[in-house]
Amino acid sequence: MKNKALIVAISEFTTLVRSKAFIVGLLMMPIFSGVAIGVQKFTKDATDVKDRRFAVVDRTGTLFAPLKAAADEWNAGVRAAVPQTAPLYLPSEVTLDANDAQGLAALSDRVRKEEIYAFVEIPATALDPASTEPLRYYSNHPAYRTLPGWITGTVNREIVNRRFRDAAVDRALVSRLTRRVEMSELGLLQRDTSGAIKAAAPIDKIRTVAIPVGMMMILLFSVMSGAPQLLNSVIEEKMSRISEVLIGSVTPFELMMGKLAGSVAVSLLLAGVYVVGGLIVANHFGYGDVVRGTDIGWLLLFLLMASFMFGSVFITIGAACSDLKDAQGMMPPAMLLLMLPWLTWFAVLNAPDSPMAMGLSFFPTATPFLMLLRIMLPPGPPVWQIAVSVAITALATVVMVYAAGKIFRTGLLMQGKAATFGEMWRWVRTS
Amino acid sequence: MPPAIRLESVSKRFNGVAAVDALTLDVPDGSIYGFIGPNGSGKTTTLRMIMRILLPDQGRIEVLGSAGTAAARDRVSYLPEERGLYKKMTVRRLLRYYGQLKGRTVAELDPVIDEWMARLGMQEWGDKVIEALSKGMSQKVQFVGAVISKPDLLILDEPFSGLDPVNAESLKDAVLEIRRRGTTVVFSTHDMATAERMCDRIFMIFRGRKVLDGTLADIQAQYGYDTIRLRTADGAAVLAGVPGVEAVNDYGQLQEVRVSDPQGFLKALASKTAVHQFEIMRPSLHDIFVRIARPEGDGVGMPSAGTE
Repeated sequence: MKNKALIVAISEFTTLVRSKAFIVGLLMMPIFSGVAIGVQKFTKDATDVKDRRFAVVDRTGTLFAPLKAAADEWNAGVRAAVPQTAPLYLPSEVTLDANDAQGLAALSDRVRKEEIYAFVEIPATALDPASTEPLRYYSNHPAYRTLPGWITGTVNREIVNRRFRDAAVDRALVSRLTRRVEMSELGLLQRDTSGAIKAAAPIDKIRTVAIPVGMMMILLFSVMSGAPQLLNSVIEEKMSRISEVLIGSVTPFELMMGKLAGSVAVSLLLAGVYVVGGLIVANHFGYGDVVRGTDIGWLLLFLLMASFMFGSVFITIGAACSDLKDAQGMMPPAMLLLMLPWLTWFAVLNAPDSPMAMGLSFFPTATPFLMLLRIMLPPGPPVWQIAVSVAITALATVVMVYAAGKIFRTGLLMQGKAATFGEMWRWVRTS
Repeated sequence: MPPAIRLESVSKRFNGVAAVDALTLDVPDGSIYGFIGPNGSGKTTTLRMIMRILLPDQGRIEVLGSAGTAAARDRVSYLPEERGLYKKMTVRRLLRYYGQLKGRTVAELDPVIDEWMARLGMQEWGDKVIEALSKGMSQKVQFVGAVISKPDLLILDEPFSGLDPVNAESLKDAVLEIRRRGTTVVFSTHDMATAERMCDRIFMIFRGRKVLDGTLADIQAQYGYDTIRLRTADGAAVLAGVPGVEAVNDYGQLQEVRVSDPQGFLKALASKTAVHQFEIMRPSLHDIFVRIARPEGDGVGMPSAGTE
């Protein structure tokens, strides 16, 4: 005779994988990634190519000409490209007296009327190395950075060249003398079995960063696709009184474990599809060796713990509520726990050995994701940290499943208003 | 033979209110046992305690000879008042699932499912999704889900509610068939006529306490022949002012009247109108129920002490 929790698990799994939500979840990651890459490519080439006419108030009297020459050179390059991928820069010189506020106001009006896009004021002291007076760029499009960036770069190049010339210093010599010595980042030299030394390989960001982050994302997507469905499932069973029929056949604990196991199986299936798909793609691009067997092992372990842990949370919310509206009210704390790794992974990526990264990877709801990331980022955390984090998380998982069992047993048949956190705590504490 | 169900001084309170109060009863093995009682009287709470869905605060419950929570679980099936069916599942898949939860294999279940679906005229529904079914169809599916595991005890909470006469009749026949196969059936109902016709014994609960428990004949005998079924030329209106009338149930074409002196009543009535039908009888279960449970009576219609 089959174990009843297993019967429930099989039913839950079958129901979930036949649902539209599962198909969407399965396709979500590759579609999401594909769309993100596609959108970036598309928007990169789809820039605004409208002409940028701008006025220049050159109080030095000498910088407009080189600025105009640079614009002409820029425009020649833009016109040569088919299709056009950048705007033409069309400067015009405007002569104003010093402190001519009316003149500046008139230029502002021209910007408002869209006769010009912006205007720039080059101060008279711009060529003086001791001056701190800035260039002034006036526009009503503060988010558009390309034009002011080009103007700043072009004017400063000319100013610096003039300063060097005035100081009779050869700019080219200075460039040669001040040329930076670049650094190439490498891994470590290896000795093979015969004692021969293998050269250090260059650091590949895809190997060292992209793939660890990708594995963490697979874990996150897999857990998020399975665990939240439990909340809907429990509430549906409560609202439809299916729970009364089920409790006549199985104990509440069997029912809960069956539902958790079904959800874990769905997460495992999703993770398996993503990992296999990802390995095929990685292999195609020559990165098939990056993911080690032990990494897959860690992924599975953390997936199991995260699925049980978060599954327990969502089952608890479903059991404590009688409708989806109440459940939505209880979701924020649960979502905060789930979002913690999402909010902090980047900081952990940049400093995986920092005290913050260590502390976060000991926090049970973040451990599966952040510790997996740290394990896959070379050189990996010390073994004791992995052992402690796994132990803490395993204990937390057992506690959460136990608490969920108590709350599930009492809340499953409860109708009417949602239980408060105080009531749930009381259920956990009483037998 | 031990009773299928034994309750000994079972009590259950919710927020300080006694839903069930010191209830003691035995359900004989192999019988059809009817639970009746007004809304909120404790019927469903009692059934849920028997099913171990709720645990009593006091007292002891034995089901099929066992007081343990899990021992008889696979031998008892339950049909709750509000139907519990997965809307997106097909009929056959749902029936298999419920049957497997009772410890049966798919190989054991499929022929039984086919048999019951044929019996209840559901042969073409196997691949239909539950949400596509009508209420009557869903109730049949739920019933089949409860019986396919061949339980020793079947508990039905309001199984006939909302069914049209045809479906109610086929379900009634199914219940009788189940009993013929040896299953003890307990069902709660508000339909007194069905309870009268089907139940070997009837139990009534009122405000959490047992007020009736016995065969229909035993129950009626507690009230004696105090009911007159009559039809007159002038209907119920003529009864106003006739002495000795304690209560009148007017059914339009005929009336059921409770009197203390049937002969005196007949004499008085005959002087006022033409009497077409005059039948002295025991009160119906419906009448007894109303006597006990009507709000203004506060249970005054209960049988006198020492007669239970």
